[in-house]
Amino acid sequence: MASLDASRQAAFAKFVLPEVEVLYRVALSMTAQPADAEDLVQDTLLRAYRAIDRFDGAHPRAWLLTILRNAEVNRHRRRRPDLLDDPDVHLEHDTGGGPFDMVPPTPEELVVGREFDEVVDAAFGALPVKHRQVVRLIDIDGLTYAEAAVLLGVPEGTVMSRLHRARKRIRDRLAAAGLAPKQGGGGR
Amino acid sequence: MMGRRLRQMRDMRECLHVGPQLQSYLDGECDPATVRRVAAHLEYCRKCGLELAAYREIKRALATHEQPADDAVARLRAFGEHLAGAGPEAEL
Repeated sequence: MASLDASRQAAFAKFVLPEVEVLYRVALSMTAQPADAEDLVQDTLLRAYRAIDRFDGAHPRAWLLTILRNAEVNRHRRRRPDLLDDPDVHLEHDTGGGPFDMVPPTPEELVVGREFDEVVDAAFGALPVKHRQVVRLIDIDGLTYAEAAVLLGVPEGTVMSRLHRARKRIRDRLAAAGLAPKQGGGGR
Repeated sequence: MMGRRLRQMRDMRECLHVGPQLQSYLDGECDPATVRRVAAHLEYCRKCGLELAAYREIKRALATHEQPADDAVARLRAFGEHLAGAGPEAEL
């Protein structure tokens, strides 16, 4: 029994502890409040500890994200109304594009300054909840498409589609502000 | 020898193929064959190069968006280390 505990503790230290910060980042993306995120990760760590002797050692992050997701589902069995919307229809008709109506800047002219970041932040904040969540998971938390898909319980293609459309929405805001070329114009 | 018009048509077809792959390419999510094809196209296509640059800057701006509070991470790490060190009684 003591050796079982020892091997469980060793496996936990090896597979789980290195992922604590990523889990917290992801939990922040899944919850509205830092305190909720912390509770969620604590719950996840406890569940992982109890289940570690059944874990085969392959893809620990994906395994932990599944546990985190289940813990989150248990915490909120009643989903919030804004999460019931289908986020994929919101951006459907906002494809941007149109002809080039400005001289395209060189890559060096793509201003990487405060204004650029402010427009990105504002556009990010204006995204539908589920699109914002995917952008957070990939671009802020550093998950892969596959890891985000596991976490959200959706196909990888859905993650990709939400992410790409969300970034395109941000990009179109930048184009409207003159901070990126408008799509569909220019030349080689 | 390929005519200018023919070359333009070929390049436009490549833009149509490569354009939708740019974000996956930036994220490192393309298969090796697609990576090679996109990279080859970017060698000469200014429009797709600008598009990629825009997405790269968006990704950079987003990546610096928020950092988790160090004290929360430290508390959680301590909690995990306690679990790893103390065994089942740590669950109490």
